[in-house]
Amino acid sequence: MSLDFSILLKFADALALGLWMTLKLTVLCVVLGSTLGFLIGLARASENALIRVPASVFVEFFRGTPVLIQLFWIFFCLPLILGVELSNLASATIALTLYMGAITSETFRASLRAVGREQMDACTALGLPRRVQITNVILPQAVLLAVPTLLSNCISLFKESALVSAVGMADLMFIGQNISNNTARPVEVLTAVAFLYFVIAFPLTRLVTRVEGRMLRKLAA
Amino acid sequence: MNAMSRDTALVRITDLHKGYGPNIRVLRGLNIEMKPGERVVVIGPSGGGKSTLLRVVMGLEEIQGGAITFAGQPYISADGRKTRIDTEVRKKIGMVFQHYTLFPHLSVLQNLTLAPCKVVGEPRAKAEERGRAILARFGLEAKADAYPSQLSGGQKQRVAIARALMLDPQLMLFDEVTSALDPELVAEVEQVILNLAAQGMPMMMVTHDMWFARNVASRVIFCAGGVVVEDGPPEQVLGDPKEERTREFIDRVFHIKG
Ligand SMILES: Nc1ncnc2c1ncn2[C@@H]1O[C@H](COP(=O)(O)OP(=O)(O)O)[C@@H](O)[C@H]1O
Ligand SMILES: [Mg+2]
Repeated sequence: MSLDFSILLKFADALALGLWMTLKLTVLCVVLGSTLGFLIGLARASENALIRVPASVFVEFFRGTPVLIQLFWIFFCLPLILGVELSNLASATIALTLYMGAITSETFRASLRAVGREQMDACTALGLPRRVQITNVILPQAVLLAVPTLLSNCISLFKESALVSAVGMADLMFIGQNISNNTARPVEVLTAVAFLYFVIAFPLTRLVTRVEGRMLRKLAA
Repeated sequence: MNAMSRDTALVRITDLHKGYGPNIRVLRGLNIEMKPGERVVVIGPSGGGKSTLLRVVMGLEEIQGGAITFAGQPYISADGRKTRIDTEVRKKIGMVFQHYTLFPHLSVLQNLTLAPCKVVGEPRAKAEERGRAILARFGLEAKADAYPSQLSGGQKQRVAIARALMLDPQLMLFDEVTSALDPELVAEVEQVILNLAAQGMPMMMVTHDMWFARNVASRVIFCAGGVVVEDGPPEQVLGDPKEERTREFIDRVFHIKG
């Protein structure tokens, strides 16, 4: 059997549609998930156990169970609990946002810790009120420190979002599998799909390396 | 109350006890009376609690016993297991640390204006004007918009001093501010401190540089074992110490320096 990549041309539109869906889902979940992760990261740094413990349980649960099962759970159980139909996009967004929130909360928590005690001593010596310490000194540094890891989190989410194809959502992976089944050309089609993922992810991984270097140099004051 | 208001000390430290956890006792009943206009250099063996002393005076640490007054006002006291710190008094004291603790995400000028704008509510334009003036005095006017990572260690430390001065402190604390610097950068920082001293700024500092100590101090205190061992004018404590422990320490330090 010889490889024939030309068959892909026929499906270019369908693949573009799938890629668009994957990108839309990723961007949505990156924005919502990082926001959620930021809040959970703060909650986990709280001195109040009533805030800290539920946040930790949430994170451990979502980090410790397979994403695929989380997706099934949201797709099939959540509508039953809520008693409303959810679109595929809504279900996938909820599921991956919760997952992304759990992952990025760890990123934020680590970067909050990395802003050293010396910075807080400097704040106290300058008489800065607690609120100013947090909003003007600790949080901006923590967010900057978190950027490289957050970018890595985004790349992982972009690739892991392919799992939503398993619950029938028409993302790039799902469409690729469909074309592959219909044409019986899995090698060409799946290679092309992988290439599409790579073309998006690769520049981002390069960016991470560059941003990381710059951040480290800038914050090493 | 009457006795308090007649207190002529700028800082009065009485029977100060401070440890870290139950097993590490650092300051064990330390007494110091610092008069207005004095420049006190604290010397002593490494791990002897010099940084701890300065951090306590800055109001950064809990204490287990004793009290500190500032210009006759109660400032810090041990109250059972709690430490009372008057944060209004604390604002009158500035501190520069060994490791430049500039805010790395803010420009030099923003480092200077953050506290005046946020603590005192000074208008930004006015704070920036004052900030630029202080930077110019320190030969750093060209660095106003630079970030800390773009500065040399000596420049960072001068910015840290400028930042503390923005709040018009009545006492400055310097904890080994030159010991993290490359040797060729030490002089520029010491010069800034000497200028401040010449202008009459009260200060308490820790340094291992005996030349600098002799030039800046109006008084030298040798601390060891968590108490004041010797206390007097620099010529005496550094040049002709009375106590055997002081003598040993001074000999050793000068010996190491060659
Ligand atoms: N945050 C801390 N926790 C526990 N021990 C500390 C802490 N800071 C200082 N120490 C200990 O207290 C003692 C005095 O330290 P320090 O005040 O830094 O001494 P110096 O500045 O004279 O070298 C040392 O034994 C040090 O290990
Ligand atoms: Mg020290």
